[in-house]
Amino acid sequence: MNAIRKLIKPSPFFLWVGFLGIIIAMGAVAGVIVFTKGLVVTNLNDLVPWGLWITIDLSSIAMSAGAFLLCAAVYLLGLKRFQPLARTATFIGLIGYSMAVLTLLLDIGRPDRFWHAVVYWNPHSVLWEVTMCVTLYLCVLLLESAPILGHADWFAQRWPGIARRLQSIHHYAPYLAVVGLGLSMLHQSSLGATYGVIKARPIWYRPDLSVLFMVSAMAGGPSLTVLVSMLAARLSPRIRVDDDLLERVTNFVGWVLVGYLYFRFWDAFSMTYTYDPGRTEGLAFLTRGQLAFNFWIGEILFGAVIPIILLLNSRTRRQPLVRMFALALVVGGVVAYRWDTNISGLLMQLSYLPQELTTLYTTYFPSLIEILAGAGVVAYGALAVTLGIRYLNIVKHPSVEEEAVVVVEPATAAAD
Amino acid sequence: MADNAINRRDFLKIAAVGAASYTGLSLARKASASGPKGSSPHSWAMVIDQSKCTGCGYCTLACRAHNDVPPEISWNRVIETGKVGDKPVYLSRPCMHCENAPCVEVCMVKASYQRPDGIVMMDYDRCIGCRYCEVACPYGGRAFNWETFTGPNPAVPTWGQPEVPRRPRGVVEKCSFCYQRIDRGLAMGLTPGVDEEATPACVVACQVGARMFGDLNDENSNVSLALKNRPYFQLRADLGTKPRVYYLSPKEEVKA
Repeated sequence: MNAIRKLIKPSPFFLWVGFLGIIIAMGAVAGVIVFTKGLVVTNLNDLVPWGLWITIDLSSIAMSAGAFLLCAAVYLLGLKRFQPLARTATFIGLIGYSMAVLTLLLDIGRPDRFWHAVVYWNPHSVLWEVTMCVTLYLCVLLLESAPILGHADWFAQRWPGIARRLQSIHHYAPYLAVVGLGLSMLHQSSLGATYGVIKARPIWYRPDLSVLFMVSAMAGGPSLTVLVSMLAARLSPRIRVDDDLLERVTNFVGWVLVGYLYFRFWDAFSMTYTYDPGRTEGLAFLTRGQLAFNFWIGEILFGAVIPIILLLNSRTRRQPLVRMFALALVVGGVVAYRWDTNISGLLMQLSYLPQELTTLYTTYFPSLIEILAGAGVVAYGALAVTLGIRYLNIVKHPSVEEEAVVVVEPATAAAD
Repeated sequence: MADNAINRRDFLKIAAVGAASYTGLSLARKASASGPKGSSPHSWAMVIDQSKCTGCGYCTLACRAHNDVPPEISWNRVIETGKVGDKPVYLSRPCMHCENAPCVEVCMVKASYQRPDGIVMMDYDRCIGCRYCEVACPYGGRAFNWETFTGPNPAVPTWGQPEVPRRPRGVVEKCSFCYQRIDRGLAMGLTPGVDEEATPACVVACQVGARMFGDLNDENSNVSLALKNRPYFQLRADLGTKPRVYYLSPKEEVKA
């Protein structure tokens, strides 16, 4: 009877999980097609070898930046009251990096050889460094997230021994925060350098790309952490969040965006003076060509200017819906930046013909398989975070928990 | 309080280790990955004479047959680049085998590497198919195997017989200066660039003698002499890649 009623009137949670499940299933089918038929099912080609998937990969790593930032704030700067947010960010980070690994497995031609990067080293390759850092940082995130599982009631009741061991990993949180900070600062910026060191593509070839990737990740990562926390508190009656903490992080995001816009302005402005073949054209392509809408509206207006106004003005920042809207814009702006950076250098190429440095323009739109597989990865991330909120209490702010019923939080105790 | 003191000390220790390893890493990165390692008596180069090239495309077809390249991939492309007078000018573009090869520098698994004799090689068993080399190559010299090449090669047997195994799906491939012909030829005591058996297939196939191949270390080789006697240029020399493929300019024919 209950089951029938549930089927007739399912809970919003059930509907959401079901919706994500369907997208994941479609993504899995698309993934199987990619693995069996090869990358010929994508719209990628030798001129545009990187597309939608690399954007998802770059974006999910950027969105995971909240983990290292908040862990550094809590365990290295001693801002202990942000510990609950660091917990949320760490879990989101773990899921974000696993999304990146999934997308990379789809994207490389020989996923069976993914381990080659760990065995055959070319330390001169920025992408090698990124791969090593991502691999190591994924281990750090696993360790940092282990206490979250150890503290989950259902887990601790069933396996108290394992739970205690997992909880004890929290003792090493400061060390993990140091390692995480180092690894993240290396590869978040190296992802920008992956593009920035390519001399063949003048629109990319500039040292600022690494800085811009780092700074934009510092805005996007905490934004997603706060956004997820606020959404969880709105959608679940049992979750309460400390709005003061969230507001402070949001204020930080606003100032990071100011810094980002400052770097971005000088980066773009100085490019107009170089007259390097391909660079002037590249900038025109970005600001007046195919990507103009993405650039001016997606990246600059919605991605930076409007959020700066909404997040640095205390009156708008304190309104939860406005704040959530602004944070969502920041996330969208960072994704747009990743997309534009990748695609601007690929759609616009310099010819190698002598005395004829003409610029060739091509087009790219992802195939249905690419879109489905990409959506599947994103839906997996959303599902994992949803389940984490529900079953692992990743959004839990003890300072505002009213029901003082067994708030077992040795996490804060150990941090003292 | 005591707890705190230990933590701080340990923290400093870890910070020191972190700083040391970072320094180590940055030192390691200073060592350039590109540039030939080891020594070889040879330094291979190709010279393409644009004044002779008629754009027939025999080079591309011979390359496809000898290297078993699928029809949708060209290791050697022939492009019409303009006109000198009424005569169209063609540019034939194999891999440049750059001395400062961007593909070698960016490859994260060293699947792209340089032989001591200057040939930029691909290790097809090691390539993971990330396509970073394709993105980094200024010459569009690389092609990815988007699907498995099955069935007969239309260039075989008219243009020759395959001498190397087909590449699997999911790896990047490119011109190898027909290293298999060079190596086998040298073992047989032949001279690459002189004896056809030891010379890249595209050079052998050229009907108008627009291509030369040889050893830059030998100052009497045809390539050394050609570069000594005529003005030449390299593609995108401004990038500093130092290509091993040299072009002789198409001359305006002077009527006597």
